[in-house]
Amino acid sequence: MATLRDIKRKIGSINSTQTITRTMKMVSAAKLRKAQDELDKIKAYALKMEELVRRVTRMLPVDSHPLLTTRDEVKKVLILSIASDRGLCGAFNVNIGLLAENFTIQNRDQYERIGVWVFGRKVKDYLARRKVDIFKEWVDIKKVDQELVEAIASELALLYINGEFDKVYLSYTHFASPVKQIAVFEELLPIQTENGAETEAATFEYLYEPDRDAIVETLLPKYLSTKIYYALVESQTSEHGARMSAMENATSNCGEMVRYLTLIYNKRRQENITSEMMDIVGGAEALRGT
Amino acid sequence: MAMLSLEIITPEKILVKEEVDMVEANGSLGEFGILPGHTELLTSLEIGEVRYMKDGKTFTLAMSGGIAEVVNDKVTLLLDTGELAETIDVARAQIAMEEAQERLKDLTIDSAEYRKYELALLRAITRIKVASARKL
Repeated sequence: MATLRDIKRKIGSINSTQTITRTMKMVSAAKLRKAQDELDKIKAYALKMEELVRRVTRMLPVDSHPLLTTRDEVKKVLILSIASDRGLCGAFNVNIGLLAENFTIQNRDQYERIGVWVFGRKVKDYLARRKVDIFKEWVDIKKVDQELVEAIASELALLYINGEFDKVYLSYTHFASPVKQIAVFEELLPIQTENGAETEAATFEYLYEPDRDAIVETLLPKYLSTKIYYALVESQTSEHGARMSAMENATSNCGEMVRYLTLIYNKRRQENITSEMMDIVGGAEALRGT
Repeated sequence: MAMLSLEIITPEKILVKEEVDMVEANGSLGEFGILPGHTELLTSLEIGEVRYMKDGKTFTLAMSGGIAEVVNDKVTLLLDTGELAETIDVARAQIAMEEAQERLKDLTIDSAEYRKYELALLRAITRIKVASARKL
């Protein structure tokens, strides 16, 4: 049975844990604000780019660029899993890990090979433990920079065009709000087109300068790298949001625990006093008898 | 009178979003101008200037390439980087230009490095040009 002193010690330790989680929550909140600024900057560009590519590809023949063509036979599949290097952010890393893991398990028989390009140490460890094929990994990305993303995007495009992969998925955490993040899993390559889906908007033909192929040739890689860049920034923002709520929960759980333990402590103390009194009274009673 | 609604967006921020009379930019086939009623156009942009006129005033930007789309009198410019003339740091551009020139001296013409610094030089010169044109 825990003695009074044990309980007291425990209360002290939980209190100091609470101090830490509270601080971490505040740090995350500050980082979140910064990350959100970063996200807002690129958001307009990414959305416009998405819109533009959607509009342009609708009017293109499907075979006009290798990145647009859906392959009849899909053998090798790649997943880009984007999460973080650090833990203590709730289910953030696990959610992304789970998506890749489940996909691999469900489609293992269907495809010849399924591999992952992984961003972030935590999710890398998670997938490695579960025997998912990791082709490439990036850890310790402090700040997402254009050069890195462009290198990744052009490598990806090259491998795809060379037939190294037949389908590429992108998995990251969408930042819906500071308290709500959604893990998504979507097709990245071949680039999704709404070919023939809507005829009304496709009634005009662009004047292309210098010519259509050259435009498509510059537009699609740009779109690809924007997409990856945006996913990375969103993931980082989500990470801070997730950590903030995780730490908030931890802080309030600590408070609850302390309240509960304090109650036990006081009860126990009262019990002790009562039994001591009983002893004294009993002793006195016995003495009087003689 | 018909107006163009112009949007100039970079990965950094939305630079311009307003109604203008005319837009000029440096496309891959040379400079072009857009007035209201222009046909649907999709073009890549090269390092150079973007100008737009509004109420008789001309505004200038330096940019390092991108994509331009014109649909229905809506002009959208997605630039890799772009700076409004009044925000350009001329001193920095000057340093960038000198550094690029310095590097170019010891490189052979057909190396990838050469191309890289050539573009850097071009960007720096454009920025200086845009910034100084405003003062005249």
